[in-house]
Order: sequence, then C-alpha cells, then structure tokens
Amino acid sequence: MAKVKAMTQEWMDAYKAAIVADPEYKTVAKDWEGSVSLIVNPDPSKGVPETIYLFQDYWHGDVGEFVVCDKAKAESAKFVMTGDYARWKQVALKELDATKALLQGKLKMKGDLPYVVRNIKVVNKVIDILGRVDTQWPDEA
Amino acid sequence: MADTIVENRAEEVPFSYVITDLLSSNLQQKPDKMKTFQNMWGVVGLNLPDIEAAITMIFAGGRVRIEPGIVGKPDLVINSSSEKIISLNAINIKFGLPYYFDEAGLNVLKQLASGELKIQGMFTHPILLTRLTKIMSVM
Repeated sequence: MAKVKAMTQEWMDAYKAAIVADPEYKTVAKDWEGSVSLIVNPDPSKGVPETIYLFQDYWHGDVGEFVVCDKAKAESAKFVMTGDYARWKQVALKELDATKALLQGKLKMKGDLPYVVRNIKVVNKVIDILGRVDTQWPDEA
Repeated sequence: MADTIVENRAEEVPFSYVITDLLSSNLQQKPDKMKTFQNMWGVVGLNLPDIEAAITMIFAGGRVRIEPGIVGKPDLVINSSSEKIISLNAINIKFGLPYYFDEAGLNVLKQLASGELKIQGMFTHPILLTRLTKIMSVM
C-alpha cells in the first residue's frame, strides 16, 4: 500500500481507519469522552510552511469526525495539544514518549489534565496505532 | 482559587507546569483532596534524571510553593523516570488511603521493588507520602 502524506485529510482518514480496525481500541477507549485537536507548528525548513490543525472526535470507543480543520474548530476541542512538527513526528515514530514530551514542554496541552492521566492507556493506544499508519513525512519527500 | 494556593516559582522547568495543573485541577475538583492539602506541611523533591528536571514542593498548610531544582533537604525525594512518574498519579484512593492492591498500585510497588522508582524518606515521613499520594492521585 502506498504511503500517505502526513497531516492531510487522506492521512486522517487512514488514521481513523486504523483505529476502527484495531481489535483492542473499542475496549480500551470505552470510557473516553471528547474531541482532541493536534496543532502542528509550522517549520518551513521541514516542508511545513503553515500551522496545521487536526481535529479528532472520540466517544466511548467510537470514532467520529477526523478532519484537517481551521484554527477555530481545533481550539473548540475538549483537549488541544500543540507542538512543533519535529516533535509530532518523533511521537508518531515512537522516538519520543508523549508523556515525556509533555513533561519536557515539547508538547503543550490545554484541557482537563487529570482526565487525560486517568485515561493514559487510551492516549498511548491511539499513539501506538498512529505509528502503524504508513506515512510520507514532508521532510522526507 | 487554586492559582493563589499553588505558587509556581519554577517557571524554567516545564514539568512544574504539569504538576501545577494536576494539583490545581485536583484541588478544585475534589473537596476531600483540598482538606488533605490544608493539613500538609513538609518539603517534597521530585527528580526526573532522564529529562534533567527537578522541582521542590514546599507545603505549608493549604499552600504550596514550587521551586526549581532540589532545594535544601526535603523530607521526601521521589526519583523516577519521566515516563513512570505519571503512574504515581494513577493510584486509587480507598477509605482515604492509597490502595496498592490493584493494577495501578501493584505497578507502583513493582517499580519500587525494581528500583525504577525511589522514594527517599518514605519510611521516616509516611504520613506526608500518604497525603502527597492522595492529593496528586487523579483517581
């Protein structure tokens, strides 16, 4: 299967499909309520000329809207995570643990942090699945 | 409310913002944690060598000040990797006490046994440790 360009709608569709297809996701995420946005800071030197906003809707093991969106929609999510392109890539490739990135300030989060910590298995699960999406990164094109 | 009782003076340590956020949210959301917090006196160091970050939390009966680095000689010093420290926040509280006999609790005991988690002062300041666990638990 061909690689999908990172952080495009096609990539979001592939990511959503991978989550839906995961045999454990529904059980692990049965208590999770709420949307998550990923904001990717621009880095022209790595092929990311503008900020990218990605919106993902999760609800009790089901997966809803997964879209590339505008700033307003991204900021409307229950949880908003922001970081540089290079950090997100490291997280996706499992070169950087998301918790570690948060504690180091490499990723920033707005939202109910205790809720996220209570549901850290869900976070780890979706990151694990993200690593399975065959991705064409802009700085590797 | 919580901003006035959790004073973060460790702004150069990003990890301090996570601790401030967790503690402030817990105190706002759970009145029983606030009650415990108001009875806490003592100094706790949190050291995460893998990311070269450390803070000291100075509790003073309903207020806490967070300083960068390990300051003075804390009553408790928790040494852990950044990836494992979050597991401490997942400990369940039963009958007002940390509960170590479920998955989250056993995970912490396993880390203590293996040396991945080290808590200096845990035997000399068990009440402070219990109260700290209670206010930092997100469960």
